[in-house]
Amino acid sequence: MPNDVIIETRNLTKVYRDFWGRQKVRALKALDLEVRRGEIFGLLGPNGSGKTTTIKLILGLLFPTSGQVLCFGRDATDVTKNERIGYLPEESYLYKFLSAEETLDFYGRLFKMSRRLRRQRTSELINLVGLQGAKKRQLREYSKGMTRRIGLAQALINDPELILLDEPTTGLDPLGIRDMKQMILDLREQGKTVVMCSHRLDDVEDVCDRIAILYDGELKELGRVDSLLKVRDVTEIHARGLSEKTQQEIRQLIQREGGELVAMGNPTMTLEQLFLDIIAESEAHPGRRVVRKEGAA
Amino acid sequence: MVLETELLPFREWLLWGPFVWLLVMGSLAVAGLFFGSLVAVIRHGPAAGLAATGRVLAAAVGDLFCMSPRRVWALAWLAVKDSLRRRVVVVFIVFLLLLLFAGWFLDPSSDHPLRLYISFVLTATSYLVLLLMLFLSALSLPNDLKNKTLHTVVTKPVRPSEIVLGRMLGFVVLGTTLLALMSAISYVFVVRGLAHSHEVVQASLAAVDPRQDADQGAVPLRGESTRVNGHRHDVRIDRKGQGLLEMTQDHYHRVARRQDGEKTVYEVGQPEGMLVARVPVYGKLRFMDSQRHVAERGTNVGDEWAYRSYIQGGSLAAGVWSFEGVTPTAFSDNLQLEMTLGVFRTYKGDIEQGVAGVLLLRNPKTGLTVEAKVFKSREFSTDVHRLPRKITPTAAYALQPEKDPDGRIKYVRKPLGADAKAQYDLFDDLTDDGQLEVWLQCLDPEQYFGVAQPDLYLRARDASFALNFVKGYFGIWMQMVLVIGFGVMFSTFLTGPVAMLATVGMLIGGFFRGYMIELALGQTWGGGPVESLIRILTQDNVVSDLPEGIRTTVAQTVDSVLQRGLWVVAQLLPSFGDYDCASYVAYGFNVPGNWIAERGLTALGFAVALFVVGYFFLKTREVAR
Repeated sequence: MPNDVIIETRNLTKVYRDFWGRQKVRALKALDLEVRRGEIFGLLGPNGSGKTTTIKLILGLLFPTSGQVLCFGRDATDVTKNERIGYLPEESYLYKFLSAEETLDFYGRLFKMSRRLRRQRTSELINLVGLQGAKKRQLREYSKGMTRRIGLAQALINDPELILLDEPTTGLDPLGIRDMKQMILDLREQGKTVVMCSHRLDDVEDVCDRIAILYDGELKELGRVDSLLKVRDVTEIHARGLSEKTQQEIRQLIQREGGELVAMGNPTMTLEQLFLDIIAESEAHPGRRVVRKEGAA
Repeated sequence: MVLETELLPFREWLLWGPFVWLLVMGSLAVAGLFFGSLVAVIRHGPAAGLAATGRVLAAAVGDLFCMSPRRVWALAWLAVKDSLRRRVVVVFIVFLLLLLFAGWFLDPSSDHPLRLYISFVLTATSYLVLLLMLFLSALSLPNDLKNKTLHTVVTKPVRPSEIVLGRMLGFVVLGTTLLALMSAISYVFVVRGLAHSHEVVQASLAAVDPRQDADQGAVPLRGESTRVNGHRHDVRIDRKGQGLLEMTQDHYHRVARRQDGEKTVYEVGQPEGMLVARVPVYGKLRFMDSQRHVAERGTNVGDEWAYRSYIQGGSLAAGVWSFEGVTPTAFSDNLQLEMTLGVFRTYKGDIEQGVAGVLLLRNPKTGLTVEAKVFKSREFSTDVHRLPRKITPTAAYALQPEKDPDGRIKYVRKPLGADAKAQYDLFDDLTDDGQLEVWLQCLDPEQYFGVAQPDLYLRARDASFALNFVKGYFGIWMQMVLVIGFGVMFSTFLTGPVAMLATVGMLIGGFFRGYMIELALGQTWGGGPVESLIRILTQDNVVSDLPEGIRTTVAQTVDSVLQRGLWVVAQLLPSFGDYDCASYVAYGFNVPGNWIAERGLTALGFAVALFVVGYFFLKTREVAR
């Protein structure tokens, strides 16, 4: 595996079974993915599409039915890989009877940090997520937004190289969402790799470098966000100073008349449009990777 | 105190205890490996399944041997913090309330108040602590799984072994603290609850010798004390004014007379002889029949409880205890011999009068035997005999073993001749290298003394009662460790309530462990399960053999397989009652060191096994769902 591939899934399949071993649901079907160092990778999909299952498989919280997940080149069940990982679960599953300081101190101890380092990291992270005023309060008294913040702080306690964020903006107010997105972008600036899953399309669109769209446990689309959203068969021209007459035949006249060509390129649709298109296509042709129109992507 | 099973010396126990542990752990490992591989093969196919089993085993080596103490301690701290949040303190308050109102139901006029107090505090503590730990240990992990708080823990570099050990350790730390507090409070409760004093009823005092005048002073007096805590004492005061409030309810008081101006005042001290930890030195018991032949057991008087064997009165039959380590350093200047005899009367006689018996001391090497003391038995209580170092015997002779023509060994009485002395030294004449034999004979014809090995013992220097009290709590501590071990182990793969039930099931099963082993070894009537079933269906009795034939052969073959399985299952159950040493403390006996060591190691063996099993269950389960 090349050095810059942080996560690799090979033919990853997960089937949930009941107590008697009967198949209940096939949550993930032969997923092949690679996440590279330093990128923000988004897993996108409707509810039940297998996003969280993928993250849990990467973390070793679930075992694959078949296939393999490698994280930093090690098997996902190898706990030593967690030294370099930070994880923010879907809801911040933290011990409500601890205060913010105690929480961070506890998770710091799980990384065998010295007392001095724990104190330092705790204070840095509490400042980073803006909980200075509430650091002594028990988490049970926290609002949902505050819980997300302390959740993020615990995910960063070990200064991880890879951060997995499960629905990071859920429960945050617009201001909180903006801060969270900025923090994610800052993490990339620091050279960290981020994998996030979300069904909030605007979040993914704003911060992700690459995305994978899952539907019903299958990978439907994978690529760079800017490239995926580009509509290649349409050209957009922004022009100024053209006469009424020449506007009738813009394309020929701009050059001939010497008008100023301000911008020329491909328009983009929104991620929301792309997402809905893929879902519609998947429902029309179940079990098939989305085939985009010639030149569409 | 009844000790039905003899406690092995620690060295002897070490020879087989760890061996059984290894055997059971080995069987468990083989069975675990087999079933684990089987499940993996069914799930993933032969190659992938076996590879997965191999991976789990390889990971186990690292997980079990490379744990980080800092992480384990962090997880233990979390368990403690979590438990405190669950208002563990309430249990402590319940305990205090119980003690506060204990006066309502603890009868101070009981014959053995110490037994009552000790069994009350130990029972209250053990019920409260064990129930609490059952709830905490069985519900904690399932709760973390349900609330998904475990997700943020297992996604840190935490090994499953550290999670299991952290939980166990956390609860043990919590329980130990709780027990330490409870034991300190209980100790104060017992000591203060039993503390009392009496006054001497001066009007009752009379001279022991009716010819003397009590008012003249300087004569031995007898009388009685005031009634306190439901009892009064007989008072005896010597001519110097020193004396005792005699033994009642397992205790006595010292009393001293002094003059306060015109008035004579008797100062009575606090109860003594009650808060004790006797250190009994047990001997090996063997029997002589009525002709003084060596016999395997005494007479069977038809008692269903075969604990005691009987010595026929008015004959040469005797119970013989062989002691070791009887030296002046261990026993100072006299030998205190205590016994609790069962008496079987074939005629009622004078029921107020005890049955007469005699104690002989014999040097096992020289055969020198002296009649040290003739006594009247006291039933249902401990009979104390102090034998001075210099013994002036009522009779002295030699008892020498000889072989009968039929090959049986018989002890024959021989005169001492020139070796006879008027007085014998206990240590110089009657012991040899610390070895001494005590012979007990019943003198009344047609009456019987019932004896078991622990019924007669030499009392060495007492141990500290406070320390013995702590040992009583150590017994509860071991039971607590077992409950925590089972609770945490089951909670790694079962839901909370089911884990709790399973733990309770194991403990109840543990009470029947002895019977299960008897069944497994074929020591019960009626055969194994299948054979018993046939007997039930055919209404056959349990004693006669089944008719020979294919049916019986098949039944007995199946039974022998089932019995082996039963043996293994029985070994997996903790004999929970064995860890209870409340009766030692309550009866005023020191809990022996080998008891502590053997039980402690057994509990540790269980804890280690439960930890390993718990680890494998947690390792092979998916934390998320």
